[in-house]
Amino acid sequence: MAPNTVFVRKRLTVVLLLSGFALFCLIGRLAWIQFVWGKDLENKALEVRMRDIPVEAKRGNIYDRNGRVLVSSVSVDSVYAIPSLIREPQKTAEKLSPVLKEDVSFLYRVLTRPSCFEWLGRKLDLKTAQKIKSLNLNGVFLLEESKRFYPLQTIAPHLLGFAGIDNQGLTGIEKSYDDQLKGTPGRIIVEQDAVGQDVPEPLRKYLPPKQGSSLVLTIDETIQQFVERELDKIVLKYQPKLAVIVVMDPGTGEILAIGNRPTFNSNKWENTPAYIWDRNPAIWYNYEPGSTFKIVTMAAGFGAEVVKRTDPFFCPGYVRVADRIINCWLDGGHGSQTFEEVAANSCNVGFVELGLRLGVKNFYKYINEFGFGERTGINLPGEETGLLIPEKDATNLNVATMAIGQSIAVTPIQLISAVSAIANGGTLLRPQVVREIRDGSGNLIKGFKPEVIRRVVTEKEASQVRELLENVVAKGTGKNAFIENYRVAGKTGTAQVVGENGGYVSGRYVSSFVGFAPSDQPRLACLVMVAEPQGGIYYGSQVAAPVFQAVARDSLHYLRAPETPNLKKPPNPFIYEEPRIKVKVPNVINYPVNEGIKMLSGSGLTYQLNGQGNVIYGQTPAPGAEVYNGVKVVLNLKPLEESSGAGSVTMPNLKGLTMGEVAELLRNLDLNLELNGTGIVESQEQPPGKKVKRGSTVRVNFTPPGLITFEEQPEKAPAASESIGGNAFVERP
Amino acid sequence: MTRTKSSPDFILLLVLLILLSLGIIMVFSSSLWYATLPPFNDTFYFFRKQLIWALIGLAGMFVLMNYDYWRLKRWANLMLVAGIALLVVVLIPHVGVVRQGAQRWLNLGPLSFQPAEFVKLCLVVFTAYGLSRQLERVKNSFIGILPFLLLAALSAVLILLEPDLGTAVIVAGAIVIMLFAAGARMRDMAGIGLIGAAALGGAIWKEPYRLKRFLAFLDPEKDPQGTGWHILNSLMSLGSGGLLGTGLGRGHAKYLWVPERHTDFIFAIIGEELGFIGAGIVILLFIILIWRGFRAAVTAPDSFGALLATGIISGIALQVIINIGVVTSSLPITGITLPFISFGGSSLVFSLASMGILLNISRFSVYK
Repeated sequence: MAPNTVFVRKRLTVVLLLSGFALFCLIGRLAWIQFVWGKDLENKALEVRMRDIPVEAKRGNIYDRNGRVLVSSVSVDSVYAIPSLIREPQKTAEKLSPVLKEDVSFLYRVLTRPSCFEWLGRKLDLKTAQKIKSLNLNGVFLLEESKRFYPLQTIAPHLLGFAGIDNQGLTGIEKSYDDQLKGTPGRIIVEQDAVGQDVPEPLRKYLPPKQGSSLVLTIDETIQQFVERELDKIVLKYQPKLAVIVVMDPGTGEILAIGNRPTFNSNKWENTPAYIWDRNPAIWYNYEPGSTFKIVTMAAGFGAEVVKRTDPFFCPGYVRVADRIINCWLDGGHGSQTFEEVAANSCNVGFVELGLRLGVKNFYKYINEFGFGERTGINLPGEETGLLIPEKDATNLNVATMAIGQSIAVTPIQLISAVSAIANGGTLLRPQVVREIRDGSGNLIKGFKPEVIRRVVTEKEASQVRELLENVVAKGTGKNAFIENYRVAGKTGTAQVVGENGGYVSGRYVSSFVGFAPSDQPRLACLVMVAEPQGGIYYGSQVAAPVFQAVARDSLHYLRAPETPNLKKPPNPFIYEEPRIKVKVPNVINYPVNEGIKMLSGSGLTYQLNGQGNVIYGQTPAPGAEVYNGVKVVLNLKPLEESSGAGSVTMPNLKGLTMGEVAELLRNLDLNLELNGTGIVESQEQPPGKKVKRGSTVRVNFTPPGLITFEEQPEKAPAASESIGGNAFVERP
Repeated sequence: MTRTKSSPDFILLLVLLILLSLGIIMVFSSSLWYATLPPFNDTFYFFRKQLIWALIGLAGMFVLMNYDYWRLKRWANLMLVAGIALLVVVLIPHVGVVRQGAQRWLNLGPLSFQPAEFVKLCLVVFTAYGLSRQLERVKNSFIGILPFLLLAALSAVLILLEPDLGTAVIVAGAIVIMLFAAGARMRDMAGIGLIGAAALGGAIWKEPYRLKRFLAFLDPEKDPQGTGWHILNSLMSLGSGGLLGTGLGRGHAKYLWVPERHTDFIFAIIGEELGFIGAGIVILLFIILIWRGFRAAVTAPDSFGALLATGIISGIALQVIINIGVVTSSLPITGITLPFISFGGSSLVFSLASMGILLNISRFSVYK
């Protein structure tokens, strides 16, 4: 027997019991981990051990109102790497480099990143993808993704917009309806090992993506094509800075077409400068509407009951408002006329008079109710509000100029919405671009109904405006918009571009036409705006009205709008019966009256004598000015003996003329010009009407047009205004 | 002294063989994925190796089972010198092989070998021999306790230099338990306890990674990608097992999620694949093994046999407790294998060899 056996035994039992106790504790601990904590731990394990591969949801298509595809998605291949699976990153990089056209060193860096997923190239073309497939590289995989495709290329890209590399909407409808279009990405959850490799018989879970909704637009592809065709023609003819055509269904507020120039291709937007694709001029561009705004003035006049169609107006050719002379576009004025004729003639004086009758409060009420100064709420990104002098700051002069569409800026969408309100009987509707949202299987999710913003004028008031606008086209300034067998209502507009510092910029115009047809039951309203046409022609009646005519004619035929039979172009339009030719006013100063008259009629001009005598000592318009034939030239007469003879001439009013115009005028008078400053004439050394010796030198001060503030338009004498045709307050049809 | 030789403890042998078989199967299952990857590219790589080591270990076990244990006394001094020498040799740069930041291995041709596993056995044999020679001395702090303490400290420090905290703790712990079993006074034991706690604290504070591991055990979610990674994955693996487990070979933690899955953390894979039932049975088998081991110590015919059995089975018990404690996040992380189960040649061979000695002692049991 061993010594101390009992003692050793006792102590060994203690050690055994302690060990057993410890091990039983560990069994308890194990039970707690596996039963109490188990579910949590298991879920956490699943979370950690699963690789989550997002599955792109198919982005919804965009259709036109007739179901024609405007935007769809096509499958393309992207290539990615799982760096941990790449055994020879250097070799792999060298093989990939020529195919992907990337640096070897860059690819090497990507391939050796400590991550489990790296993009090598997104949305590659078919050839590149096939080449990569044929390389058969370890750890490099292709993934099918979808890419936005715009089959119509350059058709309506501003409206449709485009989506980025991750199919996220960036502009246009793609952006404003991104939430509906994008859908919900799905996931493939696959078990992986700790370094990201696939494991045999992995746990898998597939959460299918929810396909994005499709949009059915209000756009009609055919009408859009007409619009794009006409825009292309405008570009060819006038190379404008900007051109916009919007076609709207006035009964519903649905936009049928929206086109802009310059344009781009949604498929290749990256190749286009940002300023072309990042804004949609139809909803963004603020411009002075000019005479097209007279529609609003008319409606306000009828609405506030300050004018009737038969009210007499008198136009002497200009009107004085608060020390300011506002000229009518027709030199010498329209004389006596009813308001109906004022409208057909687009007579500035008449409309200024109407504006003054309305006053600030009444006029602003209608301007606001027609939606100017605020966004229309069309669901497109980047809409502007236009510019409106705050009502509290508005003066009578402002009202007078706003009545003829000046000192107010509007966006094309605002104006066509307002005109649509006139067309549909007085209700302002929210312009809409989307008719329906449908889910992936084509079931209707949401349909859009016309959204009434407010009633602005009564049915009767609207129909009065419509009739007057019909006259404008039938026999007035809008003749070029006439469509056979359709009753067309509309208004032309020519305005000067407001420069960056508020003043008008000489020689830069916005020509526009806005109208609707058929005017008794309008199917469409259309606005044509051409900013800064080149080549000398810039009147709305010449540039924009024929475009309206072409778009509206083709669209009405396409829509099978009911015709009004035997509606022919009136044989004897109200004015402008004869073809209008531009002529240069001859210099008749210092000529005998008879000879002067002969010279004028030889140029196709008429005359009006002013004063007594047999020698012409002054003429308006000034010599050298370009006017249309038939324009009256006012001749100031003076007895021969009182005249200082051939040695002296009468100083003309030069204010507001450009340097070239001044130079030509003074050269005709045998005067030498001493220039001071640049821009347009601010003041002159010799006051107008003063006799100066031929051959003497006249000092003229010029100033940049921008320095003349918005409120203080350069005034021009009637003589000068017609000569450049673009005086701030002179409106041309 | 009369010794009657009979058959070895059958229960002990049976439990041992069950554990060994289960271990080989679990090594296969847990290394399945790792082995298919480069550089192994062979599903059976670890399984085959473990099988070979097990056969070598079993051979050693059967030899020692039939080699009467008291004959080891004559080797005791030599074993001590050889053991300490090997611990020094393994620390010589370029002689000892460095793996995962630890210099624990010696290369012997195609095989590598961990001296610490051998030294563990050497020190137990020497201590049993030294204590049993003059058992009364153990009552004396200076001549009975101190030399063995210094020996334990020396070997522990040498092992710590590799560094291998787990083995150091087990070597020192086994010696201390032998002193206790031999009849050391309680105040000496208390002093040893204090010194041990101080040494352990010092070792932990000295190396920052040990401190981090220590903190990771307290709050594994604090740094789930760093030091908490081991323990978090171990817990997730155990937690996924539930009562019955995912089934043999069907676990997911072996996909490299649990580090050291076929060595130190093999118990986590057992818990996942065999569930609470399987893992609980493993612990129960170890409890039976330890019980039979201590029974062999108690029934040993002489104090050398009793102390030798005590040392051997204490080492096993400590190793099991520490390993499972670590895997269940009950103890700070220490790299240590689960005896008879974890993959590892030296550990398996020397564990089986020491079990051979234990079985031999059981053959001379005085109670039948």
